[in-house]
Amino acid sequence: MKKNMYILGIESSCDETSASIVKNGTEEIATVVASQIDVHKDFGGVVPEIASRHHVKNITIVLEECLKKANMKMKDIDGIAITYGPGLIGSLLVGLEAAKTLAFVNGKPLIPVHHIAGHIYANSLVNELKFPLLALVVSGGHTEIIEMPKHYEFNKIGGTLDDAIGECYDKVARVIGLEYPGGPKVDKLSAEGKHSYKLPIPLQDDSYNFSFSGLKSAVINLAHHEDQIGRKINQADLACSFQEVAVESVVNKMRKAIIEKNAKSVIVAGGVAANKGLRSAMEKLAKELDVELSIPPMKYCTDNAAMIAAAGYYAYLDGRRGDLTLNSKSQDVLK
Amino acid sequence: MRYLYIDTSSAYLYSAIVEGDRIIDQVKRKFGTTLSEEALPEIANLFTKNILFPKDIDKIIVVNGPGSFTGIRIGITIAKTYAWDLNIPITTISALEAMSLSSKKKTNHVPVIDARRKYVYAAIYDEEQKEILKPQHIKIADLKKELKKLDDYYIISNDDMEDFPTKEKYNPDILKIVETFKDKKNVNPHAVNPEYLKLTEAEESKLND
Repeated sequence: MKKNMYILGIESSCDETSASIVKNGTEEIATVVASQIDVHKDFGGVVPEIASRHHVKNITIVLEECLKKANMKMKDIDGIAITYGPGLIGSLLVGLEAAKTLAFVNGKPLIPVHHIAGHIYANSLVNELKFPLLALVVSGGHTEIIEMPKHYEFNKIGGTLDDAIGECYDKVARVIGLEYPGGPKVDKLSAEGKHSYKLPIPLQDDSYNFSFSGLKSAVINLAHHEDQIGRKINQADLACSFQEVAVESVVNKMRKAIIEKNAKSVIVAGGVAANKGLRSAMEKLAKELDVELSIPPMKYCTDNAAMIAAAGYYAYLDGRRGDLTLNSKSQDVLK
Repeated sequence: MRYLYIDTSSAYLYSAIVEGDRIIDQVKRKFGTTLSEEALPEIANLFTKNILFPKDIDKIIVVNGPGSFTGIRIGITIAKTYAWDLNIPITTISALEAMSLSSKKKTNHVPVIDARRKYVYAAIYDEEQKEILKPQHIKIADLKKELKKLDDYYIISNDDMEDFPTKEKYNPDILKIVETFKDKKNVNPHAVNPEYLKLTEAEESKLND
């Protein structure tokens, strides 16, 4: 019988310090996430140096709690999966050095994992991935369509030409007057509003690419204009108008990709996968085109190490290893 | 007793395994931006070259700053993860203290690290290594005022600073440092953290608001 494989995942690419143990790439044993959201709220966004400082404070505490929660010891771990990038370089480095040290002192394999591969493989914790697969990756730093013919083979077929969708959400939130992190608040508020403001649907071309800076500017200009003529914007209506346009532009490109790439299943990954508007629009699209859809539960949408450990398992099977010279990369193409 | 010494608080990696009164092996190399890539392999190399294993260490002594923020975090993360995982005693020391200890000059020692924007990290120790000015982030002008109070002093630095020319580049006497601090009180690995001696710019500008 094949031996079970327990991967310890470590994630520190932005403002969450997280460790998790996942069995055979599919079963979450224990996960701990130390979030810094309250720390950065006062600054209106993540301050990289402050994030790095918190990671180094938290890292061993998070590791200890994770092992304790799993009732396991380092000797029970078969490999250490680490987010090497992309992300904030100072933040990444803390997780990386911890992972390399654990690999060194325990003589365990080190498995480098791309952050986006992690978001995609969050789905493997809830559903079996079926290929050929299309992954829509939507977060504060990414808006991409990735084609996967099989496990751990990634072809990026489209991406944003400017802002990431989550970034756009946060900026729109600020314009509407919602506190950081405002993206999820826009989503919540939009449910109470109606699509009454006219906004342009971005980039309706023949590519699989996205563009959000135009939409963002349109919202800013609209709010500015309303302000100048002394009219108060209806927050909920503007949130709803923006959300519907943003979601529609994503869904349009996904429809095209699913049809043209003959995808069998579709997964949505990344922080913005928690967006209710996007979730329901994607559910509708999947039904329309008769493809299987997998969207991870909320807890796997935000940054966490369970997804890194899950991806790490498949990366391991794919023969991917890092040695002690492994370095962090703030930018890197998923391949 | 076997000690592992780690200092990555500058562009240099200083690390050694010390046993009793001798250095088994050491590394002193400038890496700069590749420190994150090279620090751990270099440390691991000290072990493999001498057929030692991570568990063969009885205590870790790690420099917790001041210096390069990223640099400090590299060494601290390695040291605290190592100590926590293998349950090895660990203690921290200041880079400035290590610099002062390493100089043989019989006078007041002034270790100085460039902190840019007219600031330095510095401290003053007398001949017996007694602290005269505690390690701090200090304006160059203010440090100069402090130095005027001394009859004689000796600058130790690795940075080329016009304001503080030095005859002595820092070359750590790791044996002496370990000898001096080997009995220093152990710290819980979770509490081993950098001493930046300086807030982040975001925090500073918030304070000045």
